[in-house]
Amino acid sequence: MAHDGPHIVPKSILFAVFGGLLFLTALTVGAAYIPLGPLDVPVAIALAATKATLVVLFFMHLKYDNPVNALTFAIGSIFVVVFVAVTLLDTAFRGDLGNVNSKTVQELRAEQERQEAQAIPADSLRIAPADYPNQGRGASMGADGGS
Amino acid sequence: MATHTAPAPTDTDDDHAHPAHLEHHFVSSTQQFDSAKLGMWVFLITEILLFSGMFVAYAVFRQWNPEVFVAASSTLDQLWGTINTVVLLTSSLTVALAIHSIKQDQVKTCVYYLLSTLGLAGIFMVIKYIEYTAKFEHGIYPGAAFDPHGVHYEHLAGMAAAPQFFSIYFVMTGIHGLHVIIGMLVIAAIAVMAWRGSFSSEWYTPVELTGLYWHLVDIVWIFLFPLMYLI
Repeated sequence: MAHDGPHIVPKSILFAVFGGLLFLTALTVGAAYIPLGPLDVPVAIALAATKATLVVLFFMHLKYDNPVNALTFAIGSIFVVVFVAVTLLDTAFRGDLGNVNSKTVQELRAEQERQEAQAIPADSLRIAPADYPNQGRGASMGADGGS
Repeated sequence: MATHTAPAPTDTDDDHAHPAHLEHHFVSSTQQFDSAKLGMWVFLITEILLFSGMFVAYAVFRQWNPEVFVAASSTLDQLWGTINTVVLLTSSLTVALAIHSIKQDQVKTCVYYLLSTLGLAGIFMVIKYIEYTAKFEHGIYPGAAFDPHGVHYEHLAGMAAAPQFFSIYFVMTGIHGLHVIIGMLVIAAIAVMAWRGSFSSEWYTPVELTGLYWHLVDIVWIFLFPLMYLI
């Protein structure tokens, strides 16, 4: 630095930045009235990010500062993006959770095998009148009920 | 950066002549100033992450219920929102001008700019009060108390996610408003100190750090405004 003392951002730059911020605000409000479909949110965030950049660089003096401040801010901002993006990667792609089962695939397979092992052969399921030794009882009950 | 050298010895017991504001553990005023500023930036990052947690909540619920968020956000007053945006941007300019002035030893101008900032912050809070009471009158409360009534709000009653939008709206703008109030207290204290002649182009660190804090409050609003009011 040629002169001693603090670096001073000229008033002209401060007012120019303020003008830019007002212009971008008007643009943001204007963009909200134009149907942009899926671009609504990205456009609004891009305009807000541009405004924030102007504030950080000139009002907050980051452009003229010790670069370590810019590094601190940049790392913090990266983590904000990570925070939002990684969370949305989960919540936006959860899909239909209606068909979930609390059992694991191994447990379900084991259960199926166990059922197959216990299965009764088809032959043993055949029914003959001799299988019902008490068949007369139902008829007599019916006769009782009818009398 | 040029290392600052003190114009006159202020401490006769010390071999090294240094200005009154310079702490012994710093080599120079520049180093002391840079350290303070880096510390402030680290604090501002924690503030940004505090708010980003709430922005994540907004993003998740908006992604799940896009139509409800559009319907609910359109009940907010865009005119008041736009006015408040301009008010906060102007307050950012005045605080930047206050720092601009104190760097040139214009103490009185600095105080005036700080008081302008204070006034603009007050206008912001009054507008926020008007907006909040207008919503409360129609049963638009955060959380379980949500009970919309009136012509412009009745349609929200049937939307399952509408209370979530307003809970996020009230919590985010509420915590932002709390930051505005804290900022006002700090700016008032700084203005009094400046008026008493505590700051000069030699030492104005508290003014600079207060300015950084105030700009951050502005930046949070820059994002809140379109997300809450416009889209």
